[in-house]
Amino acid sequence: MRHALYWLIVVLFAAPAPAQQQQPTTPGERLAVVEHVLPNGMTFLLLRRPGAPTVSFVTHFRAGGVDEWTGISGTAHLFEHMLFKGSRTIGTKNIAVEQALFPRIDAVADSFTAEFRKGALTDSAQLQRLRDRLKQLEDTARQYVVSNELDRILTENGAVGLNASTGNDLTNYFFSLPANRAQLWFVLESDRLRNPVLREFYSEREVVMEERRLRVETQPFGMLLEEYLGAAFRAHPYGRPVVGVASEIQAVTRGSALEYFHKYYGPNNAVVAIVGDINVDSMKAWATRYFADIPPGQPHRPVVTQEPPQRGERRIEVQFDANPQLLVGYHVPNPQHPDGPALAVLSQVLTGGRSSRLFQRLVIRDRVATTIASFQFPGSLYPRMFTFQGVPIAPHTTQEIEAAVYEELDRLQREPPTEQELQRIRNQADAGAIQRLQSNFGLAFQLSNSEALWYDWRRTFRDQAALARVTAADVQRVAKTYFNPSNRTVATLVRPAKTATGGHD
Amino acid sequence: MRAPLSLGALLLAVVSAALKAAAQQPAVDTHTQIQALQFPPLRFNPPQPKRITLSNGVPVYLLEDHTLPVISVQLVSKVGVANLPDSLWGVGWQADGLLRTGGTSRLTPDSVDKVIDFYALNISFSTDQEQSTAGLSGLSRYTDQLLDLGFDMMKNPRNDTSRVRILAAQQQENWRRRNDKPGSVLGRAWSQVLLGNHPLGRSLVTPEEIAGFTPARFRWVQERIYCPQNFLIGVSGDFQERQIIATLERQFRGWERCKPGLQAVPPLTFAQGPQLVLVEKDVNQTNIRMGHAGGLRVANTPDYFAAQVADFLLGGSGFTSRLLARVRSDSGFAYSAFSAWGADTKREDQFFAGAQIRAEKTVAGLSLMRSVIGSMASEPVTARDVKLAQDNEVNSFVFRFESPAQIVAQQLSYAADGLPPNWFDVYLRGIQAVTPDQVRQVSQRFLHPDKLVIVVVGKPSAFDKALSEIGRVTALPVDSIRR
Repeated sequence: MRHALYWLIVVLFAAPAPAQQQQPTTPGERLAVVEHVLPNGMTFLLLRRPGAPTVSFVTHFRAGGVDEWTGISGTAHLFEHMLFKGSRTIGTKNIAVEQALFPRIDAVADSFTAEFRKGALTDSAQLQRLRDRLKQLEDTARQYVVSNELDRILTENGAVGLNASTGNDLTNYFFSLPANRAQLWFVLESDRLRNPVLREFYSEREVVMEERRLRVETQPFGMLLEEYLGAAFRAHPYGRPVVGVASEIQAVTRGSALEYFHKYYGPNNAVVAIVGDINVDSMKAWATRYFADIPPGQPHRPVVTQEPPQRGERRIEVQFDANPQLLVGYHVPNPQHPDGPALAVLSQVLTGGRSSRLFQRLVIRDRVATTIASFQFPGSLYPRMFTFQGVPIAPHTTQEIEAAVYEELDRLQREPPTEQELQRIRNQADAGAIQRLQSNFGLAFQLSNSEALWYDWRRTFRDQAALARVTAADVQRVAKTYFNPSNRTVATLVRPAKTATGGHD
Repeated sequence: MRAPLSLGALLLAVVSAALKAAAQQPAVDTHTQIQALQFPPLRFNPPQPKRITLSNGVPVYLLEDHTLPVISVQLVSKVGVANLPDSLWGVGWQADGLLRTGGTSRLTPDSVDKVIDFYALNISFSTDQEQSTAGLSGLSRYTDQLLDLGFDMMKNPRNDTSRVRILAAQQQENWRRRNDKPGSVLGRAWSQVLLGNHPLGRSLVTPEEIAGFTPARFRWVQERIYCPQNFLIGVSGDFQERQIIATLERQFRGWERCKPGLQAVPPLTFAQGPQLVLVEKDVNQTNIRMGHAGGLRVANTPDYFAAQVADFLLGGSGFTSRLLARVRSDSGFAYSAFSAWGADTKREDQFFAGAQIRAEKTVAGLSLMRSVIGSMASEPVTARDVKLAQDNEVNSFVFRFESPAQIVAQQLSYAADGLPPNWFDVYLRGIQAVTPDQVRQVSQRFLHPDKLVIVVVGKPSAFDKALSEIGRVTALPVDSIRR
């Protein structure tokens, strides 16, 4: 209650106290993070920690799937792949010769796209010829490529965990180094950010198509998720798959990927967290030396589109050669909204752990489901979906899971969560607040993610602490506000009548 | 479409454009910058766990670290499901889950769940093939609750009938869903083809085994796997040595000795290649695995270390490995391609390479993978390649000692596998002594691209060529994968 009172006073006297002056309440907020912002806007969060001499680097760019324009879905992700292909000096035997081949390659790629766009009228033999030609030209260019050189340099220097991921809101890049080699990150990262060369672009496009097949087209859950989001969002780009629509991946050009880069990868849209056995002053000096002269880009502008209110339940079936499963979801605001903490608590009351209400009922008491879970996705910056996932145990059905979810949501509107339920959630949040501080990489990820999303690295810790102040009445209020049938999307995976492979008892 | 430009004309065009580009943008060579970097020496003596023996003979590895108020206790049992009589394999495979959910003689299953959730404890059990683990962790202020409950669950499992029924229903559903994902079909088909019905190749419980789930049978398994004489214990985090030892002594008091009845793992035989097995599944991406017996044990021998380096360069190290470079980066056939040259301290393990390849490039991709495996002998790795693998091991060694829990877990695993406590030093020295010629020799001796067992899961009508063009195809219908 003390905290609530404090906030009340702040509001009454309209005295916006800077974050530093507030009494930090969680161990995360009390971390001695040094913020170092370059004149071009690039933000570094530096945290020295005791322990083994390792250092983790995580960079988030305010650039994601939602920032793509029509027709280029998948470009944010494909560009993320391209940033591992090197620069004007890394990854090449002769940059000039290599780049001089690009226009020819791009021209063939354009012809391929033009043929591909004819849709039903596409001449498949011609398409194949163009594809072969594209491959042939890229193989010619590949003679001048030093394959995966960036990876090789990092590997020999003992880097671990080199990877990246693209989300709807942000894209991140990360790896860890032995602490004595930290400067290497500055050299390589500033180089690829300054001079990315999108070499081997069209073969990488094929790789991304295989990634799509691996994660979506051959996976029942991946496919269900994609179709569900498509049904839930009519206007907002959260309805579009980050990996890209197949036909658009196959038509993305090097030009549009570069355009995406120039638009969104300015240093002012980058947040780097460096955590581990570091000398903070050296990090500051290197940040300035390697990154300060990169000119700023356009500031990131949030997506203007707002998902219109849903006018009635949406229900889809997804045919797939697999056993049934279910997604049920409701539009809810983003976590910055005052209802954010109460929604997080509601999720815990219903599905957080084996003693939660829905798990108790569906998995333990009725043995209807193997799993029941809830999560909010597919992003954090914009209103999103509060989603239940259920997997039935035959002969029980997805309908039985649906019915139980609705009943428990109704019950929550009538019967508030008990004090014991709320205390359990507070205890879990407390433990989580400490456990999330355990690794350099984990910390670097959270700091950089929070700063990139909210321009405030403490926010992630504060949001979790806010769960402790949620009351039973708050949970009931959000249950009534958002969980209405007309705000609902239901997606069910069903096996087509004729099945190709087995899988019955 | 126009005829392709002749190579001469092309080069000419390229060179003139190249000169222009070079004149416009002189590049700062990043290589020069990297070479100029001077890395200070890395001074690091990883903390060593302290080894203490409890009065019942159980060794405990302790590493205190008071940075955060958390504690982690790990109990490793030196036996697993493969040590059970064959009729109990399925029960054994699920004995871990029931330990977590089945309650104790003192507490109902619901009460156990409530205590775990309320105090935010993490208690989990994992009964693996030849080793089993209990992991207990949480905030250190709840150490007593954590250990009281965790030990109670192992010593006095209730195996409540209602929870046995839930487990059976869930496993039955698992069985029903076994062919839903291509990766699961491949993994099971692969084990069946390569290892037959050997317990080490199993990962799914059959309906016949589920029918044999009874509390008594679970109890039989648990009291032979999770029992004092089998354990090695590791404790890391925020604790005081004297207190934790006293607590552990108290927890073990009155816990009966391990009961007899376990057996040695039966000898493992690997199928001989060449074999080409097709499992039909209607997917637009083909799952492929190829391999054979690995031929080597984990041991302080030049062959073992050379094989480790060979695997790193063939397909164990991501983008710097030949498989991913050729199959993904150069060809765009797949998102993932890798190799795993397994070895065990007790016996040889399997070698295999795997990938998920675009259906229309199945045969091309498969042939490429096979030739990349062969290239380890025919196109020997260079001194630079070997140095890459060695530098990676040497420079990344700190990451094996990043947290107290990791350091303790490493010692537990060495002790359980019968490796010396300084095995990591031995390993590092072994890797550093490997030469390119040794890599070529082990590849030649132990990798057999002409005798591969190959399993393909995919849709043959979508393949680039008939599989039969590369070998005699045996069909394995998806429903005849026994488990």
